Amino acid sequence: MQGTLDLMVMQTLATLGPLHGYAIAARLEQVSSGAVRLNMGTLYPALMRLEQRGFVRGEWNVTENNRKARFYGITAAGRRQLTRQKEDWGRTVSIMQAVLGEQG
Amino acid sequence: MASVCEWMRRLWGTLSRNRRDSEMEEELRLHLELASEDMARRGDSTEDALRAARLKEGGVSQAMDAMRDQRGLPWLDDLTLDVRHALRSLRNSPSFTAVAVLTLALAIAGNTVVFGVVDAVLLRPLPYQSAEQLAMLWTEDPTQNLREGRSACWNVEQWRSQNQVFADIAVFDGVSTTLMGTDGAEKIVGGSISPNLLPLLGVQPVHGRSWSSEEAELRQRLVLISHRFWQARFGGSTDAVGATIVLDGFPFQIIGVLPAGFQIATLDADVYTMSEEWQTRHTVRGGNTWFVVGRLRPSVTFDHAQAEMSAIARRLNDQAPAAERNRGISVVPLSLYIVGPQSRLALWMLGGAVFCVFLIAAANITSLSLARSIGRAREMAVRATLGASAGRIVRQLLTESIVLAAVSGLIGTMLAFGGLRLIRVFGPADLPRLNEVSLDLRVLGWALAISLLAGILVALAPAIATLRRDLRPSVQEGGKSVSGGTSTRRIRRALVVAEFALAIVLLVGAGLLVRSWWHVNGIDPGFRPERVLMMELSSPTAFSVLTQRTDLYHRALEQIQAVPGVESAGAIGDLFIANSREQVVTIERDDGAFSERLRFRRDEVSADFFKAIGTPLLRGRFLSIGDGPDAPPVVVINDAMARRSWPGQDPVGRRLKLGPRDSDRPWYTVVGVVGDMRRQGLEREPVPQIFESLAQNAPRSVDLFIRTSSDDPLSMAGAVRAAIRRVEKNAPIYGVAPLADQFGTYLEQRRFQTSLLTGFSVLALLMAGVGLYGLIHYSVATRTREIGIRIAVGARPAHIFRMIVREGLQLSAAGLALGLVGALWLGRAGASLLYGVTASDPFTFTTVSLLLTAVAAGGCYFPARRAMKVAPMAALRQE
Repeated sequence: MQGTLDLMVMQTLATLGPLHGYAIAARLEQVSSGAVRLNMGTLYPALMRLEQRGFVRGEWNVTENNRKARFYGITAAGRRQLTRQKEDWGRTVSIMQAVLGEQG
Repeated sequence: MASVCEWMRRLWGTLSRNRRDSEMEEELRLHLELASEDMARRGDSTEDALRAARLKEGGVSQAMDAMRDQRGLPWLDDLTLDVRHALRSLRNSPSFTAVAVLTLALAIAGNTVVFGVVDAVLLRPLPYQSAEQLAMLWTEDPTQNLREGRSACWNVEQWRSQNQVFADIAVFDGVSTTLMGTDGAEKIVGGSISPNLLPLLGVQPVHGRSWSSEEAELRQRLVLISHRFWQARFGGSTDAVGATIVLDGFPFQIIGVLPAGFQIATLDADVYTMSEEWQTRHTVRGGNTWFVVGRLRPSVTFDHAQAEMSAIARRLNDQAPAAERNRGISVVPLSLYIVGPQSRLALWMLGGAVFCVFLIAAANITSLSLARSIGRAREMAVRATLGASAGRIVRQLLTESIVLAAVSGLIGTMLAFGGLRLIRVFGPADLPRLNEVSLDLRVLGWALAISLLAGILVALAPAIATLRRDLRPSVQEGGKSVSGGTSTRRIRRALVVAEFALAIVLLVGAGLLVRSWWHVNGIDPGFRPERVLMMELSSPTAFSVLTQRTDLYHRALEQIQAVPGVESAGAIGDLFIANSREQVVTIERDDGAFSERLRFRRDEVSADFFKAIGTPLLRGRFLSIGDGPDAPPVVVINDAMARRSWPGQDPVGRRLKLGPRDSDRPWYTVVGVVGDMRRQGLEREPVPQIFESLAQNAPRSVDLFIRTSSDDPLSMAGAVRAAIRRVEKNAPIYGVAPLADQFGTYLEQRRFQTSLLTGFSVLALLMAGVGLYGLIHYSVATRTREIGIRIAVGARPAHIFRMIVREGLQLSAAGLALGLVGALWLGRAGASLLYGVTASDPFTFTTVSLLLTAVAAGGCYFPARRAMKVAPMAALRQE
């Protein structure tokens, strides 16, 4: 789900600040206890899309062990988008729960 | 908003590649390294860790592909690639490109120009509010052969008050008006209109206002002026509104200026005044007749309106006087009145013709690119082998031909721009609305559409041929021999046949029009327009007494005849006429006097009129100066009148009078018979005519005809004008022109149609010829080996020559047969444009067939010569 991927990436960046691609993937994998595994072909196009939409901004920088990496940080527009999407997501979840609870 | 932003960046990404591949790759590599380090930390060996990381994260190149797709717009990326490839491939075959671009550009230019004309004259709505609801209303009378007749205000008021279909009905007419200026009297065109006409048309003055209803009631002398008049007389100053001008001796106050280009149907006047008769329409029966225009109520159809008006006409006929009991009312859409069916047909014909030229051009280029596609079979096969799908290859072919068409369209549009300017200047002056022609967005849109169509048409056949062919095998063949060429050849042969068929249809049409042109040009108008100067002379408004006018014309003609270089001079009320009226006349014959209704024309002429204009005397004598007001009333009649009213008898010495036998009008004695004159246009049969003496009945204005000894009669205009001024300073003189020019306008539309269609058909024929040449040439080239073998085993060169020529002529004959059938079928539809020939004129059909066969033979000759000279050994060594 494209929307959820964007949401997860933006949430990660909003909590932890600028990260490079691998760090984002590693963090997501850790938080989800291994359930979310993003390969490069999924993650980087998504980052590029978010950048094209103006929600994140990428910059070349050095890592703590002095390696060149592209760090992605969330922008103001990204934060607004994140808030909006989180609300949507919450609404979707509660609707689904209500509907499924009814059926059960 | 965000997604717009994304698209903009992706577009930018396509154009500039803002993130470099190397950069993206670096990012991915780091990702892999970090992943494998993580794995290694968990205990794998370095090599295993790297492999595991690759397995988990996916390959770098796949990720790169996904990123590239996200970076730009993939289809746009492909398109730019295709366009670059197309340009390269077109540059690689410059002769093909040049021929194709030139042919298509010409065809696109022709289509754009003709569409521009068709659009301006036929398609664009008239410049009135909801112009599609406007209609002309005509009085008809089948018993009098009266069609599109004008109507009196009293009748119009009856229609107006009794119908439910028209929101309103108004009247108008053009009147010749004298404008008194500081430098003497001048003739201008006036429009007399009912006050409800402008609101009916939905037109408002750009300055000032229109008449109010009280002003209309009070018949105040208030005038509206045209934009042109405003610019010319008042320099576009707003002071004009409120100024006073003197028209026909009365002061009129200007209250408004009409929009630029405003005209009512075909009436384009300088000043518009209120119709006085309109105000008395409730009480006064009869009077002048007017043009009538109405606006349909919303959602009323023309059929419905016609039905209701016919019913009203029947009702009115029951109460009408005996002579008016057969009247009908016809409702004609205004647009159809302004551009008549003949002009419409001619324009659609030209549009069709130029589209045929376009199709032939497209067929030629298709055929060429088919030939090229066989030559490129190897290129395509390589691409297919390397993994290009058939769809991808077809898309590239399509791109190539669209690039070709776009270049042609660009050049064609530039040509069309020039062409449209030429048309505006040199097009027929009597074709309505031609001044509205311009290269506007609609016309540009058409140019674009037709270019695109060209691109698709040209790509279609090669694309189909490519799809059908199995692309792979020709890689092994080394591209020399031609495999799968038969279906291509069949398509090309069919294209050539179609080209010839289209060309023949155009040629037959052009041939028939040229023949008609010859006939019309050869028509004897009944007078000799060469070396004759024409002008109009009005008597001053103060001349209300008949003898004043008689005297003026008589003395003016005397003075003119005294001018050196003038051979003779004469006058007539009006030479060129639109319609004749039906009247009752009483004719005296051997067996008594008979009254009959007769459609004829009555004019007043001066003594030397026939001499000046060059109309021959058949019997009796011309009118003379002696036939004055006190002499017995006499007339000269034309031959048509003599044949109609005195068949087989000599009319000289007989009498006739206007009105029924018991009317108190005077008897006229016929003193002479003159030849018929075609005064309603060359293609209209002359109507019976009666000529009275100008000295016995002088109209308010006359047409003067001055036969000079100069080949440039206009050079005499000054001297003639001075001669008239010596007689009367205040008489307006206007419309000075050589008679031959006036006459030329009769032929203008026909000249336009004929020359354009002839041009198109010659172009079509040449293109078809070139198409055949290309096909045969190619066929010889691909059959060199076969021909070489034939010669080697003993075929004589003449035999080879015949074989090749036969192939070409078979195709042209097939096209000829198809085309002739088409021409016969279409000819009937266009028959009304012809004069003096039938639509199946055998002479035209034969000539055109011979011409086409000659061109076809020419197209085969050169390739056949080449085939004859094939050296057998060289041909066999070819592979």
